Amino acid sequence: MATAMSAAVLAVSLVGCSDEPSGPLPDAPAPITTQELEAMLASGKPSVVNVWASWCIPCRSEAPIVSAASVAYPDVTFIGLNVRDAPEDASAFIGEFLASASMTQVADRSGGIPRDLGGTGGVPLTFFYDASGELVHLHFGVIDEPTMATYLDEIDR
Amino acid sequence: MEFSLLGAAAIGVAAFWGMLRWEAKRGNAAGCAVDLWDVGLTAAIAGLFLGRIGAMVAAGINPLADPGQIILIRSGVATPVVTIGTITVFAVLARRDLVTAADAIAPAALAALAGWHAGCVTSNACLGTESGLPWAFALPGSEVTRHPVGLYTAAALALAAIALAMWKQHGRPAPGVVAGFGLIAAGTARLATEPLRVSLTGGPVVLYGAGIGVGCAIVGVAWVRDRRARARAAPPTTREPPAGRDAP
Repeated sequence: MATAMSAAVLAVSLVGCSDEPSGPLPDAPAPITTQELEAMLASGKPSVVNVWASWCIPCRSEAPIVSAASVAYPDVTFIGLNVRDAPEDASAFIGEFLASASMTQVADRSGGIPRDLGGTGGVPLTFFYDASGELVHLHFGVIDEPTMATYLDEIDR
Repeated sequence: MEFSLLGAAAIGVAAFWGMLRWEAKRGNAAGCAVDLWDVGLTAAIAGLFLGRIGAMVAAGINPLADPGQIILIRSGVATPVVTIGTITVFAVLARRDLVTAADAIAPAALAALAGWHAGCVTSNACLGTESGLPWAFALPGSEVTRHPVGLYTAAALALAAIALAMWKQHGRPAPGVVAGFGLIAAGTARLATEPLRVSLTGGPVVLYGAGIGVGCAIVGVAWVRDRRARARAAPPTTREPPAGRDAP
């Protein structure tokens, strides 16, 4: 039993040791203002704004769900809003957890934009907008896959 | 685990406890050497954590580097790992009296699954595809009514749990058959409702199919073993010569 447990722990640690991305780091998210972001949301397509930070531990668990959703719903514009973060940390996070995501990454160093959009200062936070730019759903905390899929189904109609 | 999922887990545990109590009053698990409450709960918790670790590894997150994330159940668990992990841990813990324990716990396990699915009301995760049926309802702030698919699954699992418990008492099925039918019911309930769910990945339908297949295999093996055991125990059919008279 002890041998099996040791083997399982070793296997998990080996499989999970992918902390360092092998290639060059992606570009850090470009800073944005509330007005610029609202202009992006009024593009005539449904949009999702996912607020994240590299220091936010739950954001790491959420990132694969957001990434998969961005690929599964090409008609929806996915925007990652990195808040209160250092550019190099944000860049490393994107390289590690969001490398396969089909989304535009922007940054808000002050962390005020989510509040301007009607949210809070906490992360993660996900806004769902319909094609007219109206906020349809706002999800606080980590979003699970069925909830993400249902909200996307609501805005992508 | 986040609070909304804790509500669902609490309903599942309450359903498990309730079914065990109800069945115990009807003579369930008499003589079984396994404490079903302890073993069932331990197996479920272990399976859930294994499933969460599986999901983290699949997402490229090192569970040893970020152990705090293991409790973020809402971020997803690997359903196949949960299922296989729970059954394996249960089999190890109940190995002294496995078949009896598996039959004894099967309806309670289905009831627990029913409670977990009914707990979607606490996490606002009941709704599936669009529907115009009278009982369909909409997300807050939406006008699109949807199938309450989580509640459909809960109802199907609850009915299966009650049916299995009743059949176990009145029908006296062969050892192992109830456990097999439990797996078949769990797989069928999820497989039948899967088309009504909205999903990014399509759901682990292969797992549900595999569960049904394994359940059928268990039922078949249990039935054949029981038939053979009955045949061995049956009295010989050849007539014995009358007492006191020697055969020629």
